[in-house]
Amino acid sequence: MKQAIVLAAGEGQRLRPFTVTRSKAMLSIADKPILQFVVESLAQNGIRDVILVVGYRKEQVYDYMGSGEQFGVDITYVTQETQLGTAHALLQVKDMTEDEFLVLSGDNLIEAHTIADFMQVKPEAVLVKRVSDPVRYGVVGMKGSEVTDIIEKPKEAVSNLVNTGIYAFTKDIFKFTESVLDIPDALNNMIAEGSTIQALETGGTWLDVVYPWDIISLNDAVLQNINVSLSGTIESGASLKGKVMVGEGTLVRAGSCIYGPAVIGSGCDIGPNVCIMPATSIGDNVVISPFTEIKNSVISNDVAIGAGCIISDSVIDKGCVLKGRFTAVGGQSEVRVNGESPSINVGAMMGEDCIVESNVTAQPGVIVGNYCQIQISKMISGRLPDGSLVY
Amino acid sequence: MCGIVGYIGEKKAQPILLNCLSKLEYRGYDSCGIAILAKDIEVYKDIVRVKALTRALPALDGVAGIGHTRWATHGEPSKVNAHPQADCAGRIAVVHNGVINNFRELREKLTEEGHNLTSQTDTEVIPHLIEKYYNDDFEEAVGLALKDIEGSYTMIALMAGEPRLIAARKDSPLIIGIGDRENFIASDVPALLDYTSRVIYLEDGDIAVVTADAVKIKENGTVITREEHKVLWNVEDAQKGGYEHFMLKEIHEQPKVIRDTLTEYISAAEPAADLTGEEGGSLGDMVILACGTSYHAGLIGKYIIERLVNVPVRVELADEFNYSGHASARNKAIVITQSGETTDALKAIRKLKEAGSHVIAITNAVGSTASRIADRTVYTRAGPEISVAATKTFMAQLIALYWLALPYSKVDISRLDDLVLEIRQLPVKVQKVLDNESAIADYARYLAGFDNVFFIGKGINYPVALEGALKLKEISYIHAEGYAAGELKHGPFALLGSGTPVVAIVAQDNTCEPMVTSIKEIKARKSPVLALVSEDNETMEGLADSVITVPQIEPLFSPVVNSVALQLLAYYVARERGCPVDFPRNLAKSVTVE
Repeated sequence: MKQAIVLAAGEGQRLRPFTVTRSKAMLSIADKPILQFVVESLAQNGIRDVILVVGYRKEQVYDYMGSGEQFGVDITYVTQETQLGTAHALLQVKDMTEDEFLVLSGDNLIEAHTIADFMQVKPEAVLVKRVSDPVRYGVVGMKGSEVTDIIEKPKEAVSNLVNTGIYAFTKDIFKFTESVLDIPDALNNMIAEGSTIQALETGGTWLDVVYPWDIISLNDAVLQNINVSLSGTIESGASLKGKVMVGEGTLVRAGSCIYGPAVIGSGCDIGPNVCIMPATSIGDNVVISPFTEIKNSVISNDVAIGAGCIISDSVIDKGCVLKGRFTAVGGQSEVRVNGESPSINVGAMMGEDCIVESNVTAQPGVIVGNYCQIQISKMISGRLPDGSLVY
Repeated sequence: MCGIVGYIGEKKAQPILLNCLSKLEYRGYDSCGIAILAKDIEVYKDIVRVKALTRALPALDGVAGIGHTRWATHGEPSKVNAHPQADCAGRIAVVHNGVINNFRELREKLTEEGHNLTSQTDTEVIPHLIEKYYNDDFEEAVGLALKDIEGSYTMIALMAGEPRLIAARKDSPLIIGIGDRENFIASDVPALLDYTSRVIYLEDGDIAVVTADAVKIKENGTVITREEHKVLWNVEDAQKGGYEHFMLKEIHEQPKVIRDTLTEYISAAEPAADLTGEEGGSLGDMVILACGTSYHAGLIGKYIIERLVNVPVRVELADEFNYSGHASARNKAIVITQSGETTDALKAIRKLKEAGSHVIAITNAVGSTASRIADRTVYTRAGPEISVAATKTFMAQLIALYWLALPYSKVDISRLDDLVLEIRQLPVKVQKVLDNESAIADYARYLAGFDNVFFIGKGINYPVALEGALKLKEISYIHAEGYAAGELKHGPFALLGSGTPVVAIVAQDNTCEPMVTSIKEIKARKSPVLALVSEDNETMEGLADSVITVPQIEPLFSPVVNSVALQLLAYYVARERGCPVDFPRNLAKSVTVE
């Protein structure tokens, strides 16, 4: 297996506002896009030939991934103009594949060893994973190691094994991709015509982001595996414990505490007297002013956080300006997306480029759209559409 | 203005030379050629682009060679005028970047002495001079030949039976790339990124003898060592990565360029450069010099410095300054040159230095001539720019100018805090303009149908209008003019009408009202008006025919978002008209000839 097709064209509507200007694959977890985890895992397994199927907001993928050189792969881009489904996406690369190839989703986070096991399997094959809530996924029916059927989001699951969206195929798959839109349907048709499809169960990491609050738990999971690396300037009097990464050109001022696991990007200005508590990711060019505490949260690039803020269990997207004394603390949330509500405590989920004046308090689970402006001393709750003005 | 390359090592030279040349096409591309050292010298050249030459060539085995991609100065683009140029016996081949001022005398003299010169190029005299002086010592012959030449003669020579390359630098850049049992020579770093990141920058007057495992550099006949630099640019910078054109890729890189440039400046312990020249010196007599797009950055710099620091600033075109400008020891000068090799800018620096001025260079090229001859250098972190039309380097120059001015600003502390906060937000603002790309592309399809376009702006956005017009004309070949909005009624009004659209840049400051008045006057002449306005500006409703919005921003930074919108506009117009966006006709990047 020398080639991989990575499907990264999809939008991820349930993840709005975070997917309004980028695709789901470009969501940042622990300071890098999900797609980068996938591509790096492929590179570690010696796969250099990567075809990326892009569509929704593809420029963001180009800008970040480029030719793939810096991630150790050689990327060819193919555009899926309308995102009709995974089988349709695969069909776009019909004339470019080798005899055998891997297919992966660019928006599920996987690790290198998850792929390593699977590379030994003979196509056609699907990688399955045991999960506790199978009804959210495609449940795979099995007889021995062979797949009997794949049922998308069933009312009742026949097993806890779900389809990871990672496949090993031969060119035979293309006989079945013309008539359907999604790969599981193509596989069901293949089985109906008598082909056998192997299933391999993995114990490795495979994580999906479906709802905005999944970003918080995924970030926590990924941060457990980081390694310490310190660049930039750490002033004396700053205290770092646990696994902490600090990027180039970042200044951590005196009196600040950073308790890992935590990632801080490059060009940031942190402190003095700022507390970054475990399970926090902070992007590049972020300013955090004195007496602010951030915990179990994801802060994107170019965010400015004023003095005296308390932020936990939250996602703050790029370019937001929080003036000072902003409070967002996790708790039981009323918010629902597609009828689903978070099973974990959630603080605020804030889209990009919002301006929040001082003394604003966010109710647990609030989803603030992109480009919102919130006036001084307001309480925000529920769901604010993009461009909202809160007076 | 040309690109030259050389290779010597253990691998086949042909594919390496051709690959390097393809990365130098931004320096010229009306013809190209290579010479490979075999038993004799084999020369292949034609009036084609590198890609076509690559397809046409047979596979050659030699492990040393030179190559050239041309931007014609002396002699029209033709096969005979393409480089490499050879001597009578065809044993010496030379590629050259520069202009030989006394080539007519040399040519006559060589012809009298019996040499047979067949091309119209100035370059051809070099191989013949080397042939004339050759007396069993290639190196000595090159040295003697160069002594006869007046002008700029950056070149590489190759000779049959001599397993080495001899290179010389005068007035045009040349670098040596150090490899493992192989060495490279090229006009610019991007050509070598696929092979090595270790480079030596040659200086004017240097002659280098390069073999597979040694580099010997002579300055005035004495062997010297020049420092080896590690190039931080990576291969990625010189690839299109998904985009159809380098220009679009580079436009999209701007949020990252701003972030990288800021990170670099902010994390530095001291200010980017001391504007006053010496501690506590006065800030009077500021002068900014540049050419082309950099000149427009300089004009914006004038507004930035005057508004923040409250001192008068003079901005001049470098070439005009060189002939009639006034330089004095009191001048604090900023010279902006993307490549650091632009002849006009370098001459300006030398003139300023002679007059005793303090000179700060803003450049994108580490180790460039500008950085060596200026008192201080502020580097922009844009990475290599391949597209001939400058976009991201212009943006990085603006950021450098903001950053130079901020430490001297006379504004109060809370306003300064706001400005620093806003400048750090620029990547997001620019990304927001990029996210609005499809609206700009839609309008571009309409604009592409016209032959004349006016761009108007006022205050700090007047230079943005000039730059918008320059971008449009250089890549889409539409006749475009940039005007200060108030100047339109002093003449150009005569040209307005339904066939002449006007792009109006409306900022959210004290220029907004007079801009509205100007647009009303223009509408009375039936010109279609596109207004580029801040998203919270409602004055254009029912006034402009089309509106493109940019993010709300502090007016001082409005050139940043407005320029990006106009870059995208120019790009999509050029694409709609089927123009070769990255390689516009008759143009080359850093212009190292006068």
